[in-house]
Amino acid sequence: MDDEAPNSLRRMSSRTRKVAPKMVAALASTDNRTQAALARLEALENDNAGLETVEPIDDDEASLDDDDEGYVQKKAKGTKRKTRQAKALENARKPPRNFLELLHEANLESLPPQVPSYLRAAVGPPNSTCRRHFCTVCGFASTYTCVRCGMRFCSIRCQTIHDDTRCLKFVA
Amino acid sequence: MSNVVVLDNGGGLLKAGHAGDDDPTTVIPNCLYRPLSSKKFIHPSPLFPSSTATEDLTSAAVRRPIDRGYLINPDLQRDIWSHLFSTHLKISPPNSTLLLTEPLFALPSIQRAADELVFEDFGFKSLHVADPAKLVHIYEANRQPHGLAATAQCSLVVDCGFSFTHATPVYQNVALSYAAKRIDLGGKALTNYLKELVSYRSVNVMDQSFIIDDVKEKLCFVSDDVARDLQIARRRGKDNLMRCTYVLPDGVTHTNGFVKDEKEAEGYKMLSLENIEDHGDSGERVQDRKKSDLNKNEFDLTNERFLVPEMLFHPVDLGLNQAGLAECIVRAVNACSSLLHPVLYESIILTGGSTLFPRFAERLELELRPLIPEDYHLKIITQEDPILGVWRGGSFLASSPEFEGTCVTKAEYEELGSARCRLKFSHGKV
Ligand SMILES: [Zn+2]
Ligand SMILES: [Zn+2]
Repeated sequence: MDDEAPNSLRRMSSRTRKVAPKMVAALASTDNRTQAALARLEALENDNAGLETVEPIDDDEASLDDDDEGYVQKKAKGTKRKTRQAKALENARKPPRNFLELLHEANLESLPPQVPSYLRAAVGPPNSTCRRHFCTVCGFASTYTCVRCGMRFCSIRCQTIHDDTRCLKFVA
Repeated sequence: MSNVVVLDNGGGLLKAGHAGDDDPTTVIPNCLYRPLSSKKFIHPSPLFPSSTATEDLTSAAVRRPIDRGYLINPDLQRDIWSHLFSTHLKISPPNSTLLLTEPLFALPSIQRAADELVFEDFGFKSLHVADPAKLVHIYEANRQPHGLAATAQCSLVVDCGFSFTHATPVYQNVALSYAAKRIDLGGKALTNYLKELVSYRSVNVMDQSFIIDDVKEKLCFVSDDVARDLQIARRRGKDNLMRCTYVLPDGVTHTNGFVKDEKEAEGYKMLSLENIEDHGDSGERVQDRKKSDLNKNEFDLTNERFLVPEMLFHPVDLGLNQAGLAECIVRAVNACSSLLHPVLYESIILTGGSTLFPRFAERLELELRPLIPEDYHLKIITQEDPILGVWRGGSFLASSPEFEGTCVTKAEYEELGSARCRLKFSHGKV
């Protein structure tokens, strides 16, 4: 079996567990703008934005009627493989994790450069230097850039909305 | 002949059915949701076959087993699959073989969790894992036996899905992973972007994912001239061909939202006929926009309709520092042997739900043409149903005579473990 995680991985996972998901992505950078961009993407991936009532998810609460489990093989406790036990123990200790945490844990940076990987498949920044700038609030052409986060806005009105609702709000 | 189940396990939708069928037995959101009225997370009803059940999804919370395209919550996925296999497919996993889709570059820990789910939790007899690009290629090559995908055995699959967008060259039925390129944007990000725009401009819909999905699907389109369309979107009254109104559900007379005036919503299609001249930009600002009646629970859309899909073409214009779709394709092609370049450009296959925006292919062609050598032909193939393309390719592959031999059996898995079994999918042997 290959399922036994090497020691180094174990050590790393205990370290990452303390790091909030947003931070994992922003970790590499101390630059506000980079952090804002990463956090912006995270916000766009959020399933439950605007729902204040989403409490930390408890799997027991979410589990379904028992008859739905009909096809899941029930295993006698004694025959559970070691890996399953280890996994169950781990699961008991930590909540479901997000992709960025798993990515960090996989330590893809250490792969030789010729090996295709999730990181190397990222398309990267655009070539073209001529960018059109749209106001991030109203969508029309924008002339101003926020000095703090680099997002665009077109007018004082949109700047106010930007400051109140978005500027670095995704980072905080 | 044993039962082969084909499961396209998408981040947004599960497509599931039997190998050899033309279409999946069921298409169902890959999530659990909790309506405001409920304390429990429950299963959504299928989109196909469509049911009459009206679920009030206003402010529903969602849990998804897939994050950024990858299966990260096996416990949740187990609940969803269990329901799928027993209620919708009515199959018995120990007597079935499973063809499961998984995006390229799944982390080893994620692959291991998926294998455990398949063999240890459900006890499937055998498993084949395939990437979506390869399956789309196989489907198109089979559908058009005289097309380039079939004759040159080569295509470039552009998949704009729920979680992300990939441009993947496929050669001899194998996705060239060293050349695949990814944009971290898909349908989910676009819906959330539209949510933000509408919330900041008119009504707060931040907690209305399901409704805004509907708005996006019905009203967004790809602009072929953004500067011109922005001008038009500022006009007043009837001259504003971009404006249309969406009515939110009120929970009393209608439980679904709808487009107030379908004809008005189609107005932008008049553009190609209209003589493009400046109607004299009145300098109208957002605040002057004639507001729809907020008491009636409706809102107007103008430039949002094309700025949302625009994000895929130029993420950087909207604050995300990634190349857009056309450059993404060029980079994927350039990472291949130059011998393949002309064939790849002549065999671009569009798939995934986010390619359904009107004028998507036309715009892509417009952007791509100046980026590629003049003597290359450019051909963009759209799929009949881009949401089902991957599944249909899987159905075809899994019904071929050689399929059984490319699967990993439960016994092999138990003996060799996840990582070595995975080699069989890429190299054909354990
Ligand atoms: Zn503005
Ligand atoms: Zn700012």
